[in-house]
Amino acid sequence: MWRIRAFEERVGELTRADEVHGLVHLSVGQEGVAAGVCGSLRDDDAVYSNHRAHGHAIAKGAPLDGLMAELMGRDGGVCRGLGGSMHLVDAAHGFLGATGVVGGNVPLALGSALAARLAGSDAVAVVFFGDGAVQSGIFVESVNLAALWGLPLVLVCENNGFAEFTPRSAHTNVERVSDVVAPYGLARETVDGNDVLAVRDAFAPFLAAARSGEGPFLLECLTHRLRGHYEGDPAHYREALAAEEWQRLDPILRLQRTLGVDGVDEETAARADVEAAVAAARESPFPDTRLTRSLVYA
Amino acid sequence: MAHELPYIAAIEEAIREEMERDPSVLYFGQNIATHENDPFLQAFGPDRVRVTPISETAEIGMAVGAAFAGYRPVVELYMAEFMLVAMDQVVNEAPRFHYMSAGQVKVPIVLKAGYGFTAGWAGQHTGSIYGMFMGVPGLKVAVPATAADAKGLMTAAIRDDNPVVFFHHYLLTLEHGDVPDGEYVLPLGQANVVREGSDVTVVAIGFMLGKALAAAEQLAGQGIACEVIDPRTLAPLDTATIIRSVEKTGRLVIVDQSTRHGSAAAVIAAEVASDGFAALKAPVKLVTALDATIPYSQPMEEYLLPDEAKIVAAVHEVAAAVPA
Amino acid sequence: MSSPDKERLTWIYTQMLRIREFEERVKRTFEEHPGVIRGHTHLADGAEASIVGSLAAIGPDDYLLTTYRCHGYPLVRGTDAKAMMAEIYGRATGLCGGYGGSMHLVDPGRGFLGTSGIVAQGIPHATGAAYAAQIEGKGRVVLSFFGDGASKQGAFHESLNIASLWKLPIVFVMENNSYNVVTRVEQEDANAAAGEPLAVKAQAYSMPSLTVDGGDPLAVLDAVGAAVERARSGGGPTLVESRVYRLSAHGNIIAPPGIPLHFPEHEAITVFGNAEEYEAAKRGDPVPRFRAHLVTEGALTADEADAIADSVRDEMQEAVTFGLESPFPPAEAAVEHVYA
Repeated sequence: MWRIRAFEERVGELTRADEVHGLVHLSVGQEGVAAGVCGSLRDDDAVYSNHRAHGHAIAKGAPLDGLMAELMGRDGGVCRGLGGSMHLVDAAHGFLGATGVVGGNVPLALGSALAARLAGSDAVAVVFFGDGAVQSGIFVESVNLAALWGLPLVLVCENNGFAEFTPRSAHTNVERVSDVVAPYGLARETVDGNDVLAVRDAFAPFLAAARSGEGPFLLECLTHRLRGHYEGDPAHYREALAAEEWQRLDPILRLQRTLGVDGVDEETAARADVEAAVAAARESPFPDTRLTRSLVYA
Repeated sequence: MAHELPYIAAIEEAIREEMERDPSVLYFGQNIATHENDPFLQAFGPDRVRVTPISETAEIGMAVGAAFAGYRPVVELYMAEFMLVAMDQVVNEAPRFHYMSAGQVKVPIVLKAGYGFTAGWAGQHTGSIYGMFMGVPGLKVAVPATAADAKGLMTAAIRDDNPVVFFHHYLLTLEHGDVPDGEYVLPLGQANVVREGSDVTVVAIGFMLGKALAAAEQLAGQGIACEVIDPRTLAPLDTATIIRSVEKTGRLVIVDQSTRHGSAAAVIAAEVASDGFAALKAPVKLVTALDATIPYSQPMEEYLLPDEAKIVAAVHEVAAAVPA
Repeated sequence: MSSPDKERLTWIYTQMLRIREFEERVKRTFEEHPGVIRGHTHLADGAEASIVGSLAAIGPDDYLLTTYRCHGYPLVRGTDAKAMMAEIYGRATGLCGGYGGSMHLVDPGRGFLGTSGIVAQGIPHATGAAYAAQIEGKGRVVLSFFGDGASKQGAFHESLNIASLWKLPIVFVMENNSYNVVTRVEQEDANAAAGEPLAVKAQAYSMPSLTVDGGDPLAVLDAVGAAVERARSGGGPTLVESRVYRLSAHGNIIAPPGIPLHFPEHEAITVFGNAEEYEAAKRGDPVPRFRAHLVTEGALTADEADAIADSVRDEMQEAVTFGLESPFPPAEAAVEHVYA
């Protein structure tokens, strides 16, 4: 979680300094979900994410160097600068990608789950999405099909109560995502997404069942997006969280309190790794423009 | 006279004025009017101004249904690519009912979407996909390049009894321009000769207009007088104005931020090749994006897109060509 | 259960018969006048009780939008059967001048705002009409008709969510006939596969729902009527799952020009080898079932019922003749009505 936090905070700075260019969505405050879920996964498990993908990529094992270089548009980036923040892919670690259009990632995860089943493998598919995606038609089409075929898929919803700039109440009158999928009969759990151990413990039985071919499952993680929707969003549409309230909610501080540690070593190491990633990224050249022609078709 | 406004404010002004003038105009979409101080909400109330979930199929479909029932919705779609989620409603539903019913119903909706945000927004948010919507019978497509045109075309789009896709370029959002005071309606289907010249016709779409004008200035210093035309609307397309210009200059360069095939540039080139061939002294030259998804990294992104230098080079090429 | 008076019961029965006879005549046109009907037509024989029961619950100022299986509804609303048949035959005198065809009938003056040929895509249209009705404030209600196949489409999900959130004056009527062309509902629907009624899907939207026997027009009238009342009083939408069985195949065969079109047997037989299911459905045919109910209850005598059947046969014969004798539109008319 410290690696995600350190990375995201640094990216925020680099965005403001225009070294990271374009649109980024940071997951500061939501680290508990990424860490609690991905910590238990293997490289051959497929993970899909949305536009707020850095944390999931890091938790799945994507290298900080490669991610930072990607955000800086360098050739050393995981996508050699072609994808950027919303289109990160690290296939070697099973991070099959971030997508930029809400809901577009959910059917992709179905495909990976189906492939695992057809190959007779015990790999599973996990897809991260926000509460805003749940009202999109793609979501229910995917849930019906996953439930009908019993695919080894875990749907992980980061319910932070906001979809871009609007609160959940403007999107639906069903507060809990678990209630939206209730009619489809999937096993589901709602958990405090800022309690990384609770996330890990709730995810474990779903993972075990999925590995034996069962599914799908929904894990709804109630969490909080500390920053705006995108980096630079003044977030006038909601009240800022008071500092004391955040001390209480912060997944990292909570884990440290639970374990009785101060986390200084982890934080220091994480920030050092992130700095090293920044330095390496700055050294990495911009990609050759011919890359744009050569990768259009396989 | 005129008042100065940024491009995006000119569009909003048009929507607001039309909503004041006509109580049947509605405005809804994602992320609008969610706080009570929102000016649209304050002016028109929660009946006529509503926020929707992320549900493009329902948003656009609802606009069609509300139009059947006598209203004139403007749907805020934010980005052109989000319309792709609901392509059926845009292409197969909205523009077809007036025809299939032999005119018994009409669908006066406006689908407002930003496009072309080539500033690091990467592969799925940066397309210039307006070409996909040309040639859909019954659908109109507006691509204003200035604040004044944006105001006039949005007003016309709302008053039009047909479905109109209104694309506004993201990089023009804060471009200031003089907008005529009072009621201002710019009819759809009228191109604008922005700069007169007698040597080469340059048709430039949307954001490309600014680059074409800069190129024209440079070229004037080199003794080549460009006539720069902004089509303003892609459907209906004012081919007459373009052909009239080509009859004067004999040479045509078309500048379009989208990729080449299926582009507005390709359509315009075909029209001129068909109906203006006799006037041409050189092949038509298209300056478009190269055929790739827009990459994230800045030098690659810039490499793909048309720029002033590429336009200047294209003009030189057609200017130098000697007729057979 | 409500008890309509004799006049109302007679009206309901008459409309059911009119739909049945109209659809029979459309089907017979393929045999009797090959080549007259082109493309793809979809019949609602078997669903009459559900259609009439639903429409009996609304008034002339209310709206309805349907699927491409649309013939029954305008008949009940009072649209001229002659114009409808002429439209299906592609004539200039057709309801839509020959522009729309079987799948795209419309009669806005009678509240029938339209159809869609694309499964589920009319549900958002209906939702938009309900939004218009809400802000117009005249107490109009909208009926949105669609099939079970539509409930897997994103458009269904998005529309029901918004309708519930905004408390729109709409009733979603799902005519569940258990088939989507050659697919059975259990093959494509997680709820059906689990043996559950499709009405449970409404829970995802905090929306009330119920399942009703779509073969009983009075049960449908009660169910839809209650939902209409709820909608009209500002209580928001309801999902009514009406169980029906279509007695014809999904549509006529799909074939390129040159191959004569016809209606094949029902998919229960041709795809699933389940003649028993089909035979049982025929035995439960809602039209003779309702006739029998009215006659045994004393609401109608057998002679009165026969007289209605005769008059309906004459009406639809007239429609067929009118269609056959009507001219085609001039070819150049094809470029009109592109823009309003």
